[in-house]
Amino acid sequence: MKGHVRDHYIGAVVNTEQTPLKCREITKVFGENTAAARALLTEGSSRQEVLERTGCLVAVRDATFAVERGEIFVVMGLSGSGKSTLIRCLSRLIEPTSGTVEIDGIPIGDLDDQGLRELRRTRLSMVFQHFGLFPHRRVIDNVAFGLEIQGAAKPDRYERALEVLEVVGLQDWTDHFPQQLSGGMQQRVGLARALCVEPEILFFDEPFSALDPLIRRDMQDELLSLQANTRRTLVFITHDFHEALKLGDRIAIMKDGEFVQVGTPEQIIAAPADEYVREFTEDAPKTKVITVGSVMRPLTGEAPRGVPVRLASVLDEVLPRLLSSPEDLCVADEQGEIVGTVDRDRVAELLGANPRTGFAAGGGPVESS
Amino acid sequence: MTATARPAGPTAVSHVIEARLALDRRRRLRSGGGLIIGVAVLAAVQIALSSLGGFPGSLVIPLSDWIDDARRWVIDNQTSHWSFSFFFNPASDFIDWFLRAVEWFLLWLPWFVVAGATAMVAAAVLGLRAGLLAGLGVVYFGAIGLWEECLQTVALMTVAVAIAVAIGVPVGIAAARYDRLQQSLRPMLDAMQTLPAFVYLIPVVLLFGVARVPAIIATVVYALPPVIRLTNLGIRTVPPVTVEAAEMFGATPRQTLRKVQFPQALPSVLTGINQTIMMALSIVVIAALIGAGGLGQVVLVSLRGLFVGKALEAGLAIVVLAVIMDRVTHGAAGIGARRRLRLMPDSLAQFGPVQWVESALAAIDRHLVRTGNLLALPLSRKLNVAAVGRHPRKVLGGVLLVVGALGGAAIGRSEFPGTISFSFAPAIDWLVDWVRDNLYEIGGTWFGTGWFSDSITIHAVTPLRELFSVDLAWPVVVLAVALAGWRLGGAPLAAFCTACVAGLGFLGMWTLSMDTLAQVIVAVAMAILCGVPLGVLAARSDRFERMLKPVLDFLQTIPSFVLLIPVIIMFNVGRIPGIIASVLYALPAATRLTNLGIRQVEGGATEAAKLFGATRGQTLRKVQLPLAAPSIIAGINQAVMLVLAMVVIAGLVGGGGLGLETVKGLRRTDSVGSGFVAGLAIVLLAMLLDRLLQAWTRRFTPVGGGP
Repeated sequence: MKGHVRDHYIGAVVNTEQTPLKCREITKVFGENTAAARALLTEGSSRQEVLERTGCLVAVRDATFAVERGEIFVVMGLSGSGKSTLIRCLSRLIEPTSGTVEIDGIPIGDLDDQGLRELRRTRLSMVFQHFGLFPHRRVIDNVAFGLEIQGAAKPDRYERALEVLEVVGLQDWTDHFPQQLSGGMQQRVGLARALCVEPEILFFDEPFSALDPLIRRDMQDELLSLQANTRRTLVFITHDFHEALKLGDRIAIMKDGEFVQVGTPEQIIAAPADEYVREFTEDAPKTKVITVGSVMRPLTGEAPRGVPVRLASVLDEVLPRLLSSPEDLCVADEQGEIVGTVDRDRVAELLGANPRTGFAAGGGPVESS
Repeated sequence: MTATARPAGPTAVSHVIEARLALDRRRRLRSGGGLIIGVAVLAAVQIALSSLGGFPGSLVIPLSDWIDDARRWVIDNQTSHWSFSFFFNPASDFIDWFLRAVEWFLLWLPWFVVAGATAMVAAAVLGLRAGLLAGLGVVYFGAIGLWEECLQTVALMTVAVAIAVAIGVPVGIAAARYDRLQQSLRPMLDAMQTLPAFVYLIPVVLLFGVARVPAIIATVVYALPPVIRLTNLGIRTVPPVTVEAAEMFGATPRQTLRKVQFPQALPSVLTGINQTIMMALSIVVIAALIGAGGLGQVVLVSLRGLFVGKALEAGLAIVVLAVIMDRVTHGAAGIGARRRLRLMPDSLAQFGPVQWVESALAAIDRHLVRTGNLLALPLSRKLNVAAVGRHPRKVLGGVLLVVGALGGAAIGRSEFPGTISFSFAPAIDWLVDWVRDNLYEIGGTWFGTGWFSDSITIHAVTPLRELFSVDLAWPVVVLAVALAGWRLGGAPLAAFCTACVAGLGFLGMWTLSMDTLAQVIVAVAMAILCGVPLGVLAARSDRFERMLKPVLDFLQTIPSFVLLIPVIIMFNVGRIPGIIASVLYALPAATRLTNLGIRQVEGGATEAAKLFGATRGQTLRKVQLPLAAPSIIAGINQAVMLVLAMVVIAGLVGGGGLGLETVKGLRRTDSVGSGFVAGLAIVLLAMLLDRLLQAWTRRFTPVGGGP
């Protein structure tokens, strides 16, 4: 079970604040003749056609999404799918060919160099795949780098850096050089460096992919507990579907530069948009993701007896009871009202061989135009 | 595997093999055929034009007269023309002032402070033993009576290197940022590194005359490429993700450079500075030709007067200077081993007295640190710099040096005391005489160094020179080079080669160039015959490689001119010492790259050959040498360029050829023009050989190679 509540839909409706990150139709074309490539794209040519006719590589095509405050938005795709390019377009480390990115309502494409620097200094931060630490600086000077760039005085930035290092548990390693630390510790430094400037939006570019599986799990847990306390806006890139399920409030699955499906982990598991997505979901830990609510039958007649299970529980929590109980279990919503029942056949069907079940779950394929 | 298993009978098999062999023959004929036809064409042209001989004087462009006119114009306008009064003269005045200031300071310092400072720096960077040796080296400068000359050279080096770094680092940074600048710089830097140092002297003399400032300018130009190259390289190899991270934190380009890129590029930049220092030192003697003074002047004057002993003393001082500077800057770049507080080598550590010495040293060091702390801690508090408190030894050393300098100057004890003096010049002079009397013809027989030089002269150098400059009609030589260019690099290279060779003739340098070329060919042949087998041996035996390494290191550290001196001791002046010295000079390149090439051959290939039962000789011939060919040819390429540089320098000690002509231009104002033209001929020859050899190297590079 995650350390924080998944209430992004409610949040999206209730939240009257500005959406922190909004992207519309971001496209990035690498190559000489980008104008011709764009023309072909608007005609609806495929990525392969564009490559053959113009020699240009379409890295990202029409990516549209918004990330709400406190949300972890995961972009999952295999290597070459354009996810790293996409995350760099969000901060203009790579200039998008077309499309708009709005951060707190400010279209960042219109900013000049100075404005962009100001934005990056105060609101954004990033954690890199191979850590991107400065090998010539001690841990504390790595972490304090962002404040140093902003012109903060040494005592101030060291004070803040020490605070953050304590958060990630590296307070005893301040005077070491990065290469003297293990991979996991190095990425903690990377995380601390990103957190030190107190950004509103944090970008993670496959931060844990270079780590051992056990350390990766620790880092994921740590990230979730950090997020539970501070509720920043996170965009997280990964090629690991399990990581996406574990961290993501919503997941965008990317293939050949395009979003194939965007949805909550549950939506994606329960109703993969196409064969490509389904392959990922096949060995996914479904019972840890799917909630009682999505396999429940609405209450028709009289409710069965017994202590009800909650609507928001994942299947893992109710399976022991379901398997030992002779009857169906009743399901209660947040108010304790009995709203439906869940039965073994239904769950068995989901976990079984037949993948095409008619669950009432959203998250269809993203339309490509 | 019986005969019945085969699809056809024996006749059919032999038929297939016949066809195969025929194909192989045709292929070999086709690749050799070009050569045969080429030689035939050349022979036919030679027979038809046999009366032509060397390049006709009527075709020569009077470039040298024009240059002399230009020189006269410069002299007339030096005080009036704007380019002099606003640019050249102020620049020259500034450099002169800078040099005088450094020189004054160095000579003001008491000698023991100079020795002590050198020892302390070397000890801090490299360890105690190196520190002691460096201090002794400085004492050697004074002991041979060349204290002032040495410090003059040091001052000249300091100024030249400071200017080179002040220009080179910013240019390197700019080149790293702008691809286009890098692209336009690269051929220039390549050309600069190809040319012998000699070539820079004449244009500088044309503009600035003969004095110490032009010597500095020539040194700066010659020594500039490495620092530009390695600064550029260092910044370009900074991991891009760190630059991206800096950008992500909103760093300005300048902040990124200062805080992220340059600090990471620093080791590379320091390596570049190290190479720049070594290049500057390598032309100390040559720069003396245009008035650099100092140690180079001593070497030059002594050699001219055939005081070989004195020349060797001064030459050794240059080597000592080079070794100290090389080791210290190398260590500072963090390339060397960590410094140690040991005096004796580890192999002796088991002996009682050694341990006793080491523990005594450690005790002394503890006392020094304690004393240093008494100074360093209050100082660091006063200055509010924590770092000062961390280095008690350095603080103590610095304080001692300052006190020594002021105290020494106050009581007038700055000069090197005459009581410390030693000289091995008489011994060397005696040795030279002895060699002449006894080794020239050993025991009155025909055998000896005299026979050796005579045979090389009579059987190799002279015939080759006569062949190129007299016997062969000049169009044949041009055509031969053009054909070689065509075969190695197609029409563009052929055109380039033709232009270069014909240029030698048009400049009126045909005979002299052919003389130099003959010497280069003989020396390169000897360098290959010695260097490649040595490289093969080094590749096959780790022990031999370890034995060879210090010798090769030493040969590469010695400035080219100094290498001439011991050779002159053995062979007297003339063409042969130049050739032998260039063989020694080029040997490291040929040996190192052969060794490297063979060692880089993939272990799998060698193992496979062994598994098939190949002998060591077969493995070498059929697997290792072919695979190492690109590296070996690159070694030969380097060897040729080094030989050319050396042969030109050897013109000074009787080598003749283009080198001598250039030197004449430097010495006598009335032949600046012909000196300049000779320098230009050296450039043409260097570019010709370099391009041809590079094309040859490319042909041997397996991936995407081939004609």
